[in-house]
Amino acid sequence: MTMIARHAEPGRRAAWHGFPVWLGLLPFALVLAILFAVPVFSLLRLAFGEGGFTLAHFQRMVDVPVYRSVLGTTLGIAALVTLLAVLASYPLAYVMATVGPRMRSLLLLLVLLPFWTSALVRTTAWIILLQSNGVVNKLLMGSGLTSSPIAFIYNLSGVLIGMTHVLMPFIVLPLYAAFRNLELSTVQAAESLGAGPLTIFARIILPLTAPGVVAGSMIVFMNAIGFYLTPALMGGPGQTMIAQMIASNINTDLNWPFAAALATVLLVATISMLVLFQRFFGLERLIESGGGKAGEPFTVTSRGRSPGGWATVAAAGLVAAFLIAPIIIVFPMSLGSSPFLSFPPESYSLTWYANFFSTSKWVAALTRSLQIAGVVVVSSVVLGTLAALGVSRMRPRWRAAVETIFILPMIVPVIILAVGLYYLLAPTGLVGSIWGVALGHVVLATPYVFITVRAALKSFDGNLELAALGLGASWPTMFRRVMLPGIAPGIAAGAIFAFITSFDDVVIALFLTNIRSRTLPKLMYEGVAHEIDPTIIAASCLIILVTILVLGANLLVSKRT
Amino acid sequence: MTVPALGKAVSIRSLDKSYGATKALNGVSLEIAAGEFCTLLGASGSGKTTLLKTIAGFENYDTGAILIGGTDIGPVPVSKRNIGMVFQNYALFPHMSVRRNVAFGLEMRRLTKAEITSRVEEALALVDLTAYAERLPRQLSGGQQQRVALARALVIKPDILLMDEPLGALDKNLRQSIQLELKRLHAAVGATVVYVTHDQEEALFLSDRIALMDKGRIVQAASPRDLYDRPANRFVAGFLGECNFIPTPTGTVAVRPEKLRVGSQANDCNQVFEARLLSVIFIGRGYRLILELEGIEITVLTETSDEIAALRTNGLVRMGFRKEDIIATE
Repeated sequence: MTMIARHAEPGRRAAWHGFPVWLGLLPFALVLAILFAVPVFSLLRLAFGEGGFTLAHFQRMVDVPVYRSVLGTTLGIAALVTLLAVLASYPLAYVMATVGPRMRSLLLLLVLLPFWTSALVRTTAWIILLQSNGVVNKLLMGSGLTSSPIAFIYNLSGVLIGMTHVLMPFIVLPLYAAFRNLELSTVQAAESLGAGPLTIFARIILPLTAPGVVAGSMIVFMNAIGFYLTPALMGGPGQTMIAQMIASNINTDLNWPFAAALATVLLVATISMLVLFQRFFGLERLIESGGGKAGEPFTVTSRGRSPGGWATVAAAGLVAAFLIAPIIIVFPMSLGSSPFLSFPPESYSLTWYANFFSTSKWVAALTRSLQIAGVVVVSSVVLGTLAALGVSRMRPRWRAAVETIFILPMIVPVIILAVGLYYLLAPTGLVGSIWGVALGHVVLATPYVFITVRAALKSFDGNLELAALGLGASWPTMFRRVMLPGIAPGIAAGAIFAFITSFDDVVIALFLTNIRSRTLPKLMYEGVAHEIDPTIIAASCLIILVTILVLGANLLVSKRT
Repeated sequence: MTVPALGKAVSIRSLDKSYGATKALNGVSLEIAAGEFCTLLGASGSGKTTLLKTIAGFENYDTGAILIGGTDIGPVPVSKRNIGMVFQNYALFPHMSVRRNVAFGLEMRRLTKAEITSRVEEALALVDLTAYAERLPRQLSGGQQQRVALARALVIKPDILLMDEPLGALDKNLRQSIQLELKRLHAAVGATVVYVTHDQEEALFLSDRIALMDKGRIVQAASPRDLYDRPANRFVAGFLGECNFIPTPTGTVAVRPEKLRVGSQANDCNQVFEARLLSVIFIGRGYRLILELEGIEITVLTETSDEIAALRTNGLVRMGFRKEDIIATE
């Protein structure tokens, strides 16, 4: 803080040769203006009429029953997913907080691995598991529990399963933090005053973990209303959500103004949630964990668990299995040799991997995805690091506002950015090359770098900077030799998130690539939407492996420092 | 008074508890009379907190028995034991007002609204917090939170009141004023109190009886005076107050620094030695002398006198003690 205060003193400034705030903020601000604000606003403008001002498109949304019901479905599904995610998160977070450190790390891995695995891969895995001749149905019929296959997907249950799986970590993680912040003695005090397990849950644990749950729920709801991939692949016509309606208005009906009106509604809903969130919790909550407390955290003492506690453990086991099952099951399936999907496979081979690497469309798509990810990582690391440096040095007064603007691309539904960029870039010819989609990914990925580097800078001791400058180093030398090594883990983490963001994206690629420039996830999406052939499963496993590798690398980097 | 005039007696019978190979409690037996203020004193890891948590029911024990008012409470769950507990960090419910905190235990006992209201008022008046009833715990000072914790534990009319280093988080001045307050409350309420601390002065000040613990055992349980004047062994003598272990022809004897006499004062002593004076330190109410006798450092506390002030370091001085001031011999 003193560092910043000194910075604001004009007299000192000349002698300081510090890093100018504008140089940090400007590059990303320009990128956001040109590639985020312009496309989004020009799309939204369409909603209010191309000639004169009109609200006719919004009127139509209310008047036509189909559209009314899509809005209702969107809100309903988002609410149901939020509720399911909360219900599933409680037992898991409780168990994570009350087991030994090893088991806790394992459970954390079970939550984080799906969290960082491509949503498309997870959706694909669920379809393989749940389709009418899929793994689950075969097990159920084989055991005689049902005689005919149960329809798990292409209906509401499919959408709920897929979306809850994708979004649950947003509640598990803050809830786990809330449990860890709960003090053992608080619970014991209630017990000594005569409260039984149910009363303790209702009157102590529930109110004390509620803020974490509400914060997580708002993030889940905010994400859920803009979901495209999962409802499109796992739902039926009755589960059409607003993002699909936007896409179909553009792709099939070519009704841009109406798509823009739908996008406006989605954007307003999302931003309202964001404002609410910031009002109640502050955006820091997205980044930081709770403050440390002196007391011993909530755990199970030598008396062991109550019967209710054991029931909760069992429930948590089911939830953990639900989280990890799709990721576990695709691996053996990818090693099968028959062209028909079966689990477990009758014989093992690398046929489908060989097929993947010998088919030119797969290899070309993989190469393109890696090229794009490379461009995106380099650009977003530079932009995000500069932006974080700039924000850390600016006056506190405007800092919160700038921070909010810089993370907006994470919050605004991707479909809106994708359609907006499509509208903006279609005339330029960038859509057919890797550059269009790369530009979109840079907008999406830079906020991750910004957040991780910002966090690293917050924990970087400002006195080190003053000490180096005081010893005669110029600012660039100080940055290279003192600050950069200090914040390198943050930059590395940001680079990894940027890579995953780009490498996993489907929605931007759907709109900004064509048959000659499609990425690996887009090619997979096309396959999943029509018919899943085993090469797609091999591709899914490759993506999971890449994710594990990249996350493992991050773990190594952060352990070393 | 709001609380019954007398608590119940506690009887702890050969309690054993192990964590793997380490014995947290090793054959602990202790009788605490109804209305007695009994302190478990010991260093960290001595087992005092484990014993307290075992009485409360937060921890299990392997063998032995705990009786409260003559009833074995082994099978009774914590919530049915009717025990008041004050935690080291107070453990107030952060989301409830002071009033709600104090009312919680009464609500669990399904008392009528009217009775809850009147008993909460009485308890708050007892600890002088009526004006703060609607505040949240975080809006109170450490001392006030401490008193809320006390009111919350007392309002349920517990059979025994357990306190786990309740003054540990407070600064020294506040600690002394709350010690006085505790003593007044205990005199007024007459509850059976089991109190855990590692602070020997606090233990001496508050307790009717002190049980000194080490390595999961009770080394000695006695009144503060007996524990100080007649320690059962060298460990007790060394733990409670300062103690010199002086080699004599008949063996090592233990003498408190304030009982040693120096110079002309040593004349009427039963045993007198010539010791080398290493240093003289003025400590306000007197002097602290460090002597050396046969390679052993000996501490003496004396009152201020010109004779002491005139002593020269590195010279030999006469030092002695009287037979009745020996507190332990080996």
